Amino acid sequence: MAETPEWVRLTDQEVVLLARAGREAAYRELIRRYERPIFALLFRMVRDRELAEDLSQETFVKALNAIESYRPEFKFSSWIFKIANNAAIDHLRRRELDTLSLDGSPHAETPEAMQATALQIGARQESPLDAVEAKELGGAIETAIGRLRPEYRSCILLRHVEGRAYEEIAEMLDLPLGTVKTYIHRARNELRQALAHLKEE
Amino acid sequence: MTPVPGLHLTPDDIDAWLAGALAPAAQGHLDHCPDCQERAETEREITVLLGALPLLSPAAGFADRVMARVSVPAPHAVGTLDLLKQRILASRRNVAIAASLLVLLLGSMAGSVVWTLGHQETLAAFGGWLSAQAGQAAWLGVRGVASNFIEQPWFAALKSLAASPGRLGLASTLAMLTYVAGILAFRRLLALPTQQVAHAGI
Repeated sequence: MAETPEWVRLTDQEVVLLARAGREAAYRELIRRYERPIFALLFRMVRDRELAEDLSQETFVKALNAIESYRPEFKFSSWIFKIANNAAIDHLRRRELDTLSLDGSPHAETPEAMQATALQIGARQESPLDAVEAKELGGAIETAIGRLRPEYRSCILLRHVEGRAYEEIAEMLDLPLGTVKTYIHRARNELRQALAHLKEE
Repeated sequence: MTPVPGLHLTPDDIDAWLAGALAPAAQGHLDHCPDCQERAETEREITVLLGALPLLSPAAGFADRVMARVSVPAPHAVGTLDLLKQRILASRRNVAIAASLLVLLLGSMAGSVVWTLGHQETLAAFGGWLSAQAGQAAWLGVRGVASNFIEQPWFAALKSLAASPGRLGLASTLAMLTYVAGILAFRRLLALPTQQVAHAGI
């Protein structure tokens, strides 16, 4: 029987090699590593929990079924984020979603469905006052992100939420480095303007 | 009013400031320019807010739903057997050929067992002759190698080394160290390259 590797000690490239050798556990490990960041990115791109879940599934199914075509000289994270971002951009191009509903999916038809698809903010342990402030501020920035152009949104989320380097974002999004910088600066400007009223209060 | 030195901060300067790597000249400007200070501070607040956005997770059972749609390749041995099975079952002709080969294989094995049981003495005599021939050939080989070894020009030096236990010990230690170093170098050469990956610890 094959020995079970200590997954946390393996690099993504090593896990991919095991997946290619037919180890189902290696596929599950790749999902475990990336399900949260990929889902978070897609949720903030499309602003609908159910849709983000579908797109996350599409991303993983596409990536894992094409694992043979992944080139190990590149970061696995860049590869899968690129697939996820393309899925989101394709979707947004097909269907324009321009307002963020913190109360739930714009496609939800019943109050229960609205509740089920609502974005959960302020989950950490906080005092009631802190929770209200955090929710207001968190909600405001989520709303402001939702109103950015999709290209700005991808860039700002990858840079400041996922912590990716400018060069890596340029590679993921197939954009020149200067364009990525410009998009991020413009996105920050728009966020600054959008949040100005909170600061005044 | 004291004039503010230098130009206002560029977006790249703001990035450098956020990363704690602002150039001294730009820092000098920032220290005296209230507009740039306010802008830099606001950008910092935004990046802090973005970095503190709540973590989101897909619904439970996400991995199972993905795996239900992923084709995991079979391990190599299983894959080869499956391929063989598919090829054999592809047509009646292939099934007939495979069945004939199987009958031939099993028949020859059974025949071999029956013949062996009936001719044990013959086999024992043949085995004895074969082992004697092999022993003789091996002995001749050893003698040939030994005589060749003795005739080498460095043999005398090696013999004198063996005569002194201290020098022999030193030479053995050096040989052992070289061997261990070689093994370590080989392991390092065969090690998989690693790369830092974000989210690996999530």
